[in-house]
Amino acid sequence: MSAVTAFLRERRITIAAYALCAVLFAIATIHSSGFASASNVRQLLVFASFVGFAALGQTLVVLAGGLDLSVPWLMAFGGIQLSSWAASGTSGVLGIVLVVLVGAAIGLLNGFGVAWLRVPPIVMTLAVGGLVEAYLMTIGQLKSSGNQVPQVAVDIATKRAGPIPVVALVWLGFAIAASILLSRTALGRRIYATGASEVVATLSGVNVRLVRLLTYVLSGAAAAFAGIVLSGYVGSTYLDIGAPYLFTSIAAVIIGGASILGGRGTYWGTVAGALTLTVLSAMLPLFNLSSADLEIVYGIVILLGVALSRFGAGALQLTRRSGAQDHNPDMEVGDAA
Amino acid sequence: MSASAAQAVAPRRGALVGRVKISWTGLTTATILIVLAVVDFILQPALLNLLQIGILMQTALPLVLVGAAQTLVVLVRGIDLSVGGIMVLANAATAVWVGERGGAHQLMIFLILGLAAAAGLLNGILVAVARFEPFVATLGTWTIFNGIALNILPTDGGTPPPSLISFTFGTTAGIPNSLIVLVVLLLAWRALRGSRLGTRIYAVGADEERARLNGTSIVGVKLFVYAAAGLLAGLAGVFLAGVTSSGTPTAGDPYILTSVAAVVIGGTSLAGGSGGIGLTMMAALALIFISDIISAINLETWVSVAASSGLLLIVVVARTLIDREIQRRRT
Repeated sequence: MSAVTAFLRERRITIAAYALCAVLFAIATIHSSGFASASNVRQLLVFASFVGFAALGQTLVVLAGGLDLSVPWLMAFGGIQLSSWAASGTSGVLGIVLVVLVGAAIGLLNGFGVAWLRVPPIVMTLAVGGLVEAYLMTIGQLKSSGNQVPQVAVDIATKRAGPIPVVALVWLGFAIAASILLSRTALGRRIYATGASEVVATLSGVNVRLVRLLTYVLSGAAAAFAGIVLSGYVGSTYLDIGAPYLFTSIAAVIIGGASILGGRGTYWGTVAGALTLTVLSAMLPLFNLSSADLEIVYGIVILLGVALSRFGAGALQLTRRSGAQDHNPDMEVGDAA
Repeated sequence: MSASAAQAVAPRRGALVGRVKISWTGLTTATILIVLAVVDFILQPALLNLLQIGILMQTALPLVLVGAAQTLVVLVRGIDLSVGGIMVLANAATAVWVGERGGAHQLMIFLILGLAAAAGLLNGILVAVARFEPFVATLGTWTIFNGIALNILPTDGGTPPPSLISFTFGTTAGIPNSLIVLVVLLLAWRALRGSRLGTRIYAVGADEERARLNGTSIVGVKLFVYAAAGLLAGLAGVFLAGVTSSGTPTAGDPYILTSVAAVVIGGTSLAGGSGGIGLTMMAALALIFISDIISAINLETWVSVAASSGLLLIVVVARTLIDREIQRRRT
């Protein structure tokens, strides 16, 4: 097997996710040529980047075998806290740095609860999200007006560098950083090992707790940043601004081919997932489909995506251990499911 | 995973020996509920009246029913994010399809409940037969059911049948119907729990492999559990249509995670095999009492949100730490 086919084989799920996205984009373009116009593509990239930022931390958390339900509240926190501090005179850049750091600290709380106190991730991140929501409600009541988003955040979200939106370049930077982190560093290998099998990872000397903790810290920071950029784009902040991203951040990870149980997936896959979700939501109005229909299509894409990626992964496993048939294949599926 | 499952089996075996067992978990949940109820009754003495309690139960019933649905699924080590979707599906259908039709109300509502059970069965097929991860399968069906509900009823409105509305607000022999539904649910759960099927549900949740070796049909049990969860979520949607006298196709989402919170506060283990609907009912009522207390003393909404999340966090952390301590002393 040549290096190229091996490369493609290893990444066939990610490639399939991009192929799905490309097919959808082609269908939309054939139907209405304006879909491929520069301005529309820019728009798509901007919307997809919001999903991409929110799903960045989610990917890391899921790869290590966890789940972060606090993402939407951390996004709301990012925008609301930033404008609240800006109203009391903090400069925009300093504000962004501080908000991202506090987001990381909230992620630390999630990680501590999951890794040290052994609270199930769903419960821990749900409770922390609720506490963040309550805190944001107190800010909202203190000041009725003045949810002015600092200009820096608006610039990041709306400015362009040549033909490309700044926010898309930032996203590309994050994606490269994430893929280096995951595939070239010790921490990346440990994240996969932790997600694949906590017991095996522990036995091979991985500090599983610390790895888990770090994924939640990064998720908190990424979600806060996502909220900052999103509120910069919208131009104002409100409590429910992150609500749609609970679903899309998880859906992007799943469509990107990651296993929700951890240990398998890439951030490039999630990028494809974010692009697919965004293209879908932009193209459905062209076919006279409502937002209600979009929800149905989202669900079908998730279920089909999982079915296909599992089919692909199963085929991959079979080719790898062709000949060694000491396992009952049925049991194998059971272990994976 | 298998190590924690083995640990979880030990205390449960002990619990099954005694016919009348009072678990430590049940005791803490009951204490939380009683304390909150007493505080609420002290703050609002007027509540100590069967009709007032009935009104409180009307508010509580949708969460109790969705919580019961979630409990069944969690008992077999699953999770159901689609309960919110099935709930609004039944809710929208009740508000639109039944409408002000003549005598066929009841039949139509039974059909809607059948549809809800079929929606749950679809989850069961995806999880048990196609072997999707429960979280992923129900994430997909959640948004599909939400979309169908919005197609049936695009915005709040519609007209639930008057007989349903009068039933939800009514009384039978002086007892509020909402309270009766609650008691019937509890009795049905007791009956299920005592049956062979009930034993199998716990067996599948505790250790699927061992249950399979003992001749339990894992697929059969899971199909039943997910279909029953769909039915209960549908019932919640129908009841909500009665309580609000309207259809609310976007009302389901908040119930999804709150139902998980109620399950966990109640003491049902997300690892499956231990807990029950009774515990979740107590926890759901406790959450309702919290928001009732907060509004009684005119505190802001955020206090209620913080109190619910805080309760979830404290209860879970306390239980985890105490369980670990017990485990350590045993070994």
